[in-house]
Amino acid sequence: MSNRNVKEKTYLGMTYGAAFVSLAVLIMIIGYVFINGYKLLNFDLITHNYTAVTYISDLDEGFVLNNYETQRDFDEDTYYSTKWGLALTDDTDLQGKNVVVVTYVHPDSPLNNLHNKGVGQSIIELKIDYEIIRIAFDGAASALSSRGASLMITTLDDNDDIRELEFATTGGGIRGSIITTLYLIVLTLIFALPIGVGAAIYLNEYAKNNKFNRMLRNFIETLTGVPSIIYGLMGLAVFVPLTIGLTKATTGNIISGAMTLAVILLPVVIRTTEESLKVVPDDYRYASLALGASKTQTVFKVILPNAFSGILTATLLAIGRIIGESAALVFAIGTSIKDDVYLTDRSTSLAVHIWSMMTDEPANFELSSTIALIILMIVLVLNISIKLISKRFMRKYGVLT
Amino acid sequence: MTTIENKKTFEIKNLDLFYGETQALKQIEIPIYEKEVTALIGPSGCGKSTFLRTLNRMNDLVESCKITGDVKYHNENIYAPQMDIIGLRTQVGMVFQKPNPFPMSIYENIAYGPKCQGMKNKQELNQIVEESLKKAALWDEVKNRLKESALSLSGGQQQRLCIARTIAMKPEVILMDEPTSALDPVATAKIEDLIVDLKKDYTIVIVTHNMQQAARISDKTAFFLMGEIIEFGDTNFIFSTPKHKQTENYITGRFG
Repeated sequence: MSNRNVKEKTYLGMTYGAAFVSLAVLIMIIGYVFINGYKLLNFDLITHNYTAVTYISDLDEGFVLNNYETQRDFDEDTYYSTKWGLALTDDTDLQGKNVVVVTYVHPDSPLNNLHNKGVGQSIIELKIDYEIIRIAFDGAASALSSRGASLMITTLDDNDDIRELEFATTGGGIRGSIITTLYLIVLTLIFALPIGVGAAIYLNEYAKNNKFNRMLRNFIETLTGVPSIIYGLMGLAVFVPLTIGLTKATTGNIISGAMTLAVILLPVVIRTTEESLKVVPDDYRYASLALGASKTQTVFKVILPNAFSGILTATLLAIGRIIGESAALVFAIGTSIKDDVYLTDRSTSLAVHIWSMMTDEPANFELSSTIALIILMIVLVLNISIKLISKRFMRKYGVLT
Repeated sequence: MTTIENKKTFEIKNLDLFYGETQALKQIEIPIYEKEVTALIGPSGCGKSTFLRTLNRMNDLVESCKITGDVKYHNENIYAPQMDIIGLRTQVGMVFQKPNPFPMSIYENIAYGPKCQGMKNKQELNQIVEESLKKAALWDEVKNRLKESALSLSGGQQQRLCIARTIAMKPEVILMDEPTSALDPVATAKIEDLIVDLKKDYTIVIVTHNMQQAARISDKTAFFLMGEIIEFGDTNFIFSTPKHKQTENYITGRFG
């Protein structure tokens, strides 16, 4: 083999190797997240509240214990007490902890009518999916969830009265964080896109090539390299007080978070849009001007629609950054996970939710992986839908034939 | 000589043009007559396209461009400070070397100019689109696909669309910068026929590298060399009995 041949083979091997390594790393990351996360992935996780409410209750006077027969077929690992009309099973909650879960309550069961010992409404009922934590009896050992559903049912059958029943509504869901993330995406884009695209139009179409504008460009480029946590500090120092002043917010909130994210995104949006404006052929500019169109008409009727796909890329990049950003949001919104999301209240995005899960003791790695999986899916869905929308737009406009 | 009865649309005197330090046009003096085809010929870089672009002030887009002298359009100096440039460009339309339809539908391409001037009436727009396409001999080919992208047309059709787009502005003058240089012979022939046809209604100034084309379609010819006009006159005379040796050499293909 000649020397030249060896050289070419080496270069070819290097490019193939590089492509293989990058692909392998990506697949490994996604695969790792998937393997760790798919077990906890279910619809309840997405729709449920994060906060579980724990109730301590006892039975109202005058209840009747009966033979609550039921026609239902239960799974092997579901245990039913005909005496109390209650079916329990062993399960893991949304965060992966072992719990005893209610699978059925007979309509006439005394457990439908419980007396709340804590704050809140006085009469409460036991519902399906609630977790039983502890059942205490007079003159007998308490049944604890840690010892399993089977033993709990046996103990229930042995007793004729319940002194205290402690149970919790289902928690650990990430509904609030998903809503917050979506709010953040929409709000941030509303702030960042018009300003970013406008600035790009100014720089590319109107700005003269002078010292000031060259400096401005360099400055914007530098801003892309600033760590986001510094923007977070700025958000805390500027946007949080600003939103507190302007709205009824009292702490860091979604609006201040979106403003901070918008500032982080501005350089990205400006740069990407500018690049896409640059590749619009000058022929179109000349043709439009030669037809007696003004500069502004040329920009908005011819140049912008042609730069649309580039602006879309900017949007997609921006959405990726919004979903992925966590450091800046810790300052600008806070880390408290909320179920009822208000624009003017603190809340948490999915990325920060992961951070919270991992700072728990012990760190909940499985749930974090599941959330990561959900984030991946959201990004995928958004990407595909935006691309479809843009294709339709470009067909309609005539950029695509 | 038909020149005596013809009116002058443009009258250019003492025109000098600089790109930065380089002088691109030197002391140009030439009339452009109404409803005639004036061909500008000469080797590449001789200034004929630059001259063409002074007529509708497209050179304004070049930052370093400086112009002195008179370019009179109907006795009005178009480089006067109070000149309405947008108004001028609606009067003096331009067709470029490379077909450059906008990436919009065929209909929108034609309607673009009138819409930019504020025309909103659908019926009027429809009428203009039809008229313009008919004048550009394109109507029969595209009347059933007006909503399709202009980019789906062939190169020759695209160039005729660009001409139709210019006609839609109801201009008086059409400037053409080598309109057939990117086209095949058949499409070129169609455009040439069209130019001869359009002469009835419009004053046309055309830059061309094709000697036969200049001879076939133009009434007047100006020969440019190194930023100067060497010879200007009736096309018949220029091509049969040129006064200058350089003109003769260029026309017969001995240089250029």
